[in-house]
Amino acid sequence: MRNFGYTVARNPADAVRFAAGTPNSTFVAGGTDLLNLMRDGAEAHDHLVDVNRLGLDGIALDGAALRIGALARMRQVAEHREVRREFPVLSQALLASASPQVRNMAAIGGNLLQRTRCGYFRDPGSPCNKRVPGSGCPAIDGYNRGHAILGGSDHCIATHPSDLAVALTALDATVHLLGPDGTRAIPITELHLLPGATPHRETARRRGELITRVDVPRTGAAARSRYLKLRDRATFEFAVVSVAAALRLDGRTVRDVRLAFGGVGTRPWRDSRVEAALRGRSLTHPAIEAAGRVLVRDAEPREGNVFKVELVQRALASVLAELGGLR
Amino acid sequence: MTGLVGRGVERVDGRAKVTGAARYAADNEVSGVLHGALVSSTVARGEITELDPSAALASPGVVAVYTHQNLPRLTVPPDFPYPKSFVPLQDARIHHNGQPVAYVVAETLEQAQEAATLVRVRYRAERPTAHLVDALDEAFLPDEFRGRPNEHVRGDAAATLDQAEVRIEREYTSPTQHHNPIEPHTTTAVWNGNSLVLHESAQGVVLARKIVADAFAAFDPRPDVRVVSRYLGGGFGAKGPTWPHTLLTAAVARQARRPVRLVLTRAQMFTMTGHRAEYRRSLRLGATRTGRLTAVVDTSTAQLSRTEHSIFNSSDSTLHLYACPNVHVRQLGVRLDLPTSSYMRSPETTAHFGLETAMDELSYEVGIDPVELRVRNLNPRLPYRGKHLLECYRLAGRAFGWARRDPRPGSMCEGEEHVGWGMATELHTYNANASTAELVVGMDGRATLRTASQDIGTGTYTVVTQVVADGLGLPLDHVTTLLGDTAFPAASISAGSSTIPSVIGPVSQAARGARDAVVAIAVADPRSPLHGVPAGDVVTEHGYLFARGDRDRRDTYRAVLSRHGRPVELTGSTRNTPGHTFGAVFVEVRVRRRLGSVRVSRVVAAYDPGRVLNHRTARGQVIGGVAWGIGFALMEHTVVDPNTARVVNPNLSTYLVPVCADVPPVEAIFVDRPDPSSNALDARGFGETPGTGVPAAIGNAIFHATGRRLRDVPFTQDRLL
Ligand SMILES: Cc1cc2nc3c(=O)[nH]c(=O)nc-3n(C[C@H](O)[C@H](O)[C@H](O)COP(=O)(O)OP(=O)(O)OC[C@H]3O[C@@H](n4cnc5c(N)ncnc54)[C@H](O)[C@@H]3O)c2cc1C
Ligand code: SF4
Repeated sequence: MRNFGYTVARNPADAVRFAAGTPNSTFVAGGTDLLNLMRDGAEAHDHLVDVNRLGLDGIALDGAALRIGALARMRQVAEHREVRREFPVLSQALLASASPQVRNMAAIGGNLLQRTRCGYFRDPGSPCNKRVPGSGCPAIDGYNRGHAILGGSDHCIATHPSDLAVALTALDATVHLLGPDGTRAIPITELHLLPGATPHRETARRRGELITRVDVPRTGAAARSRYLKLRDRATFEFAVVSVAAALRLDGRTVRDVRLAFGGVGTRPWRDSRVEAALRGRSLTHPAIEAAGRVLVRDAEPREGNVFKVELVQRALASVLAELGGLR
Repeated sequence: MTGLVGRGVERVDGRAKVTGAARYAADNEVSGVLHGALVSSTVARGEITELDPSAALASPGVVAVYTHQNLPRLTVPPDFPYPKSFVPLQDARIHHNGQPVAYVVAETLEQAQEAATLVRVRYRAERPTAHLVDALDEAFLPDEFRGRPNEHVRGDAAATLDQAEVRIEREYTSPTQHHNPIEPHTTTAVWNGNSLVLHESAQGVVLARKIVADAFAAFDPRPDVRVVSRYLGGGFGAKGPTWPHTLLTAAVARQARRPVRLVLTRAQMFTMTGHRAEYRRSLRLGATRTGRLTAVVDTSTAQLSRTEHSIFNSSDSTLHLYACPNVHVRQLGVRLDLPTSSYMRSPETTAHFGLETAMDELSYEVGIDPVELRVRNLNPRLPYRGKHLLECYRLAGRAFGWARRDPRPGSMCEGEEHVGWGMATELHTYNANASTAELVVGMDGRATLRTASQDIGTGTYTVVTQVVADGLGLPLDHVTTLLGDTAFPAASISAGSSTIPSVIGPVSQAARGARDAVVAIAVADPRSPLHGVPAGDVVTEHGYLFARGDRDRRDTYRAVLSRHGRPVELTGSTRNTPGHTFGAVFVEVRVRRRLGSVRVSRVVAAYDPGRVLNHRTARGQVIGGVAWGIGFALMEHTVVDPNTARVVNPNLSTYLVPVCADVPPVEAIFVDRPDPSSNALDARGFGETPGTGVPAAIGNAIFHATGRRLRDVPFTQDRLL
């Protein structure tokens, strides 16, 4: 890791201005991903702008939405009483992430922008289109157990690793940004990009833009939501497959359902066709199975991850059966 | 004897470790030390065609860059414990991905690391072969390794198998695994004229000294080497051999004329040291309908490298564990473009995973309970040491509740979970090597024991202290144990569960000898209240010497020796013999029906290690061994890219080992009966016994839970969909 400069920004506008004016700089929040990337040689920056003291760490619930400051820590959000009551899927996704130590350090904005755990990406001794555009993707013919079956391209099949992003995707969250050209808000489904031919372009965030807040609308479904995470050991591990589900039933009929998937897509995966297959129908095992088939219709599995096609459908069935009280 | 031996005495070094007072090898402050960083190859096979260190040399703080072009020639030490078989940075050839190709030294660690990224290397690369499946047709029977042949024949297994009433023919596989001790390998080399001191993370300081001296054999004069390793943050076999980075650091420090420290990165630990080789095992069992084994053909195939052919995971257990007149064991190997493998905790595990799973398969085939099947096949020719294996089955089975087991697969369900019970025998072959210990009892009545053994985290400091205190009759805190330094009397490597069997004999011999010497001084001294008491009637306890029957007549170690005017010194050196330690492990698993995920929910194990010297540290080995077994069964897996033979998961975030939540409470039971055939106070080698049967027991429990027989570890949930 080479030497780099370090500046603590005092307010959001300063942070953005300073970053925009400093070549090869980036923001640092908890540093739990960034510093590992720099140590591993997957990223190199000449200057870090510390955004931990911008006063953006509040969590507030009003009539319309939950408003999470981008610098709130994972732990703070996970343990927040109203989050646990009204948005259980968020709390569960966070508590199933990383370790207590990491959750104490890591912030929400950093979590959404953490980078893929693809082993080739994090090893500068390997080629990788995402790290060095045009160098190739060794995962496609190599080790791809952890990789995506949905949304991949011939250039990259890496999954996005954030559990929180999956939960926020299910709940239609909005991401607020402050950039050199002012503020804007985008749906979280538009934050992460599909790899296509440019896997090094990962998000819709523009240069120097700071995530300031994430808003999660209050819905009836959110309060009845759940996160199921399947992984290769009991804790402290990323998802092999995960499902964030929110469900509102009217008797046995599905009034509202929101579903997002982790570990299977090149971005937190949401497919409105899957929800459409359930909405307005009676929640039965056959209906859930049909929805699962819709989800994997376009799946493009590789040798190592073909099992995810089946596993994600079973995970979906398991979580919906539980939420819907099906035996 | 004051009853200290056996007691679960707390770690005497515990406080130093939790407060940071314990100095591990890289913690030692060495003035003027330079920091090293290694550059490693990004191809697995080929040749360096161009190596340009100029950018690195121009980088701030860099003192030198050493490569095959400017490092003096070293001698390749003999195969054990230098299994690597070549020394890097001696020529342009590349034998595996991640091989060191340049060694940068700089004033600070960060400067060295940064400069290492600036060394430009070009290669002529050839396509490597990375996995056994890609070269099985090249399997061959390697020459013997460390005097052990790779083929064993008893009776006529092939012919008997053909006629067997029942036959089980199966393949079992296990992937490459890495030790991953929490403390990385580290070396600090300090030259003073022709003497070299190495602060080394080593499981065997004496052997490390020999290897380093051998590497410098062609130097004139040959250096005088001392190796120091006071504490080890885990070894698991990784630090048993000496690896090239140690030799290179010594050579580089000599060239630079400054002390040099190197700490391998976690990623480098996956290529610059050893690993457990990838294995395939074909097992063919022949048996009678009543479950008696008539023939076993065990053919294993291990990954070898292009430069050596050492087999580290032997199939010995197939020969010894069960009585079978016809056995044919063959240990084949396949050369791949990978680093050299080595010993890793409980080398038997690969063999046991196959054998103990096949025994379970046989139990279902013949309809005999798995425990009963094993009892029927117990080897009556096992030396004395096997006698209590039956007791282990009984004790652990009873504590587990095995008698209530309905053998039908899928017979136990709780809610969404299938519950399964499985068991396996545990067996480990331990070593015993010549060792010496030197004890000094000072005029202050305190004792200091020195031996060039090691505490690799297992508790040597504690157990040796107990034995000395017990033998002398001193309080524990009057005894200091000093280990891990070749300046002390030579002792065994701490590997193959050999520390206790090798060292305790000499230690207790020295302690008892010293005690007798002090008693003799006291009873001969007219100034002692014990003057004239027959030596045999003196009892020593808590630092006192008493006359048996009249405890008012007493003296103290301190008084006796201060009057004597000089310390008492005794050296112990006895030789023990290697042997086997047995046990039985019973496991309960829960498998989520639809999702296939497996959780180990209960483990009960019983062992016969002879006499238990410290119940706390022994139990620690059981918990650790079971955790290892769970890792082996459910997750551990070094991923090697099939096209580049490069490790894809060289870090603890993607090379998964169990976390606490994966390891249920473990009930450890000890038969705890002395084994008079071991001169280590009747204790046998134990540490690596627990765990050897755990992967098979887990797989057997999964079969019982689900009816699905898994033969390839790790048993990740996709295998159970
Ligand atoms: C061992 C380990 C295990 C883990 N397991 C999991 C897991 O199971 N599930 C999971 O979801 N995650 C897991 N993580 C990832 C962890 O959640 C992320 O590292 C963490 O959320 C990143 O947050 P941070 O504040 O530390 O971000 P940083 O590392 O500081 O930053 C990450 C990136 O975000 C940018 N950034 C940070 N804040 C902002 C902002 N406000 N605006 C714009 N850009 C910003 C930085 O420039 C950087 O590019 C794990 C991490 C580790 C180390
Ligand atoms: S999958 Fe994407 S991140 Fe991984 S190696 Fe290929 S291009 Fe790089």
